[in-house]
Amino acid sequence: MEKFYAQALERLAAKEGADEKGLVTQLMAQLKASGRMKLLPGILRELKTIEARREKLMPAVEVASEKEGKEAMAQAKAAGIEVHEVTVNHALIKGWRARSGSTLIDRSAKRGLIDLYRKVTS
Amino acid sequence: MESIIKRIEEEIAGFAPKGGSEETGIVRATGDGIAEIDGLDRAIMNEMVLFDPTFDRTLEAALKDADPIYGLVLNLEEDGVRAVILGDSAKVYEGMLVRRVGRLLSIPVGDSLVGRVVNPLGEPVDGKGPTGADKTRPIESEAYGVMDRSPVNTPLHTGIKAIDAMVPIGRGQRELIIGDRGTGKTTIAIDTIINQKSEPEATRPICIYVAIGQKESKTAKLVAELADKGAMEYTIVVTAPASSPAAFQFLAPFAGAAIGEHFMEQGKDAVVIYDDLSKQAVAYRQLSLLLRRPPGREAYPGDIFYLHSRLLERAAKLSKEKGGGSLTALPIIETQEGDISTYIPTNVISITDGQIFVLANLFNQGLRPAIDVGNSVSRVGSAAQTKAMKKVSGKIKLELAQFRELEAFMQFASDLDEGTKKQIDSGRRMTEMLKQPNGKPLPFEMEAAVIFAAVNGYFDTFSPEKTSEAEARLQEYLSREANDVLASIRTTREITETIEKDLRAKLDQFVERTGE
Repeated sequence: MEKFYAQALERLAAKEGADEKGLVTQLMAQLKASGRMKLLPGILRELKTIEARREKLMPAVEVASEKEGKEAMAQAKAAGIEVHEVTVNHALIKGWRARSGSTLIDRSAKRGLIDLYRKVTS
Repeated sequence: MESIIKRIEEEIAGFAPKGGSEETGIVRATGDGIAEIDGLDRAIMNEMVLFDPTFDRTLEAALKDADPIYGLVLNLEEDGVRAVILGDSAKVYEGMLVRRVGRLLSIPVGDSLVGRVVNPLGEPVDGKGPTGADKTRPIESEAYGVMDRSPVNTPLHTGIKAIDAMVPIGRGQRELIIGDRGTGKTTIAIDTIINQKSEPEATRPICIYVAIGQKESKTAKLVAELADKGAMEYTIVVTAPASSPAAFQFLAPFAGAAIGEHFMEQGKDAVVIYDDLSKQAVAYRQLSLLLRRPPGREAYPGDIFYLHSRLLERAAKLSKEKGGGSLTALPIIETQEGDISTYIPTNVISITDGQIFVLANLFNQGLRPAIDVGNSVSRVGSAAQTKAMKKVSGKIKLELAQFRELEAFMQFASDLDEGTKKQIDSGRRMTEMLKQPNGKPLPFEMEAAVIFAAVNGYFDTFSPEKTSEAEARLQEYLSREANDVLASIRTTREITETIEKDLRAKLDQFVERTGE
């Protein structure tokens, strides 16, 4: 039940021009009226989980070295993932990878080498 | 050395990144072989996913353990998916990257699987190297429709007299074998496999034995027995032992069906034995509860009936246009204390085309195979029974039913009239004749000849207790002296007037020589 309330709140808040304060007031009134005030801590917990999940799936671009940043951002943008800063991950060896929601674009040398290794050893 | 380093540096510098976009998710939580995954927005049911252990590691660490772990999507939820892990679930961790594979769970199939022991993913577990299977096939597929099928019309001989005479099975049929533990259910299935050796190679069905939740020692013993009898030449074993994850035990029958369908679609006959579906139901219940699906009766999920019906519906006899192949299903169900009115037995009884009941008390009385003739039935098999078997077995069921009614009076035998005594003796002889040792299925023509002798009173000169012994001698005699008669029954598949005359002559000779 808490999950459903949290998901409904998230959807309403995501609408353009949503009044977050008003949403909370309406939620409290609804919970009070239906005698479900004890659900409130659970709803908060679910909201935090949703927020953490959203952060985890936020657009992000990793590059192997700082000098590849600009080009990586441009290429990621062309592929539909727009970010304003990149993180450096030396483990990529060369190239970049970008994630947004469920989408992953991996154009790193590390991925290329692992794929090659799997092909050779399978 | 320096030049090598330079060249590698140049290679890296010249690396042109490639790679399109792919759909991924991140493991939110994992435990008990189930992973909750965020993302994977477009994943579909029964799709394979790949848990990638290399994503957040350095290349060096990644190459040490680059083997991907597969998973199967079983729950699609609003905020993610739940998948069962088909491998070492201890290697799956929170935050791990999961990729969509883009295809339904499939297994490699091919003629080269024959003689092999594989797991439900089609990977060899017999230490004989790769299977060489060249095609893949989804383990879940829709059953053939009405127009693609033809009626069951070819017999599948089990080599067990009691079954072939009274509960005949046809190719493409679904016949349930049901009974308590340790009553000989697996033995019936294994004898059926062994008996296919006596079939001509062209029409010999490929046998697939699916061991679900069995002890590995039992499966190993069984494989050794099949190999010993030369039956592995046409048999494939799919094993999901008790020690394997519940997902494997749930998937094993579907893998067996997929392999069987491969042969059926080539116009061949295949027999698949699911040993046993009670354990598969338990594994599915475990998965469903872990996937947080609502429990129903006996805590099984609501779709437990559909689980078995969609599996068994894949057994079919295809029409000529579709190649005329067949897939016969012999599911096994284990009952508790002989109770067949519990949830899973009643479900599977209603799905199948008949059942062979084995009873613990008959087994303990030494009547083996311990088939309860009264409650065993084959709903379509009689249409496939050969004329020879039909002719000789017509009277057996009736005689045995009469004998069971009179059996209660046996203890007052001295007070019984001659007619009743005769009927009881005849029933006892028939019962003795139907006894058969493990691992000794009889070729169809021998079964027909022995049953013919029994129903026509050729064992009447022997005391009922000595019928088994007399039968053994008869078999020996017939294979030595009446090979031509047996061969005629085998080729014509019926007992014509001439064959009957010859057979009677041989039987008279046998009684003359050995009768008491």
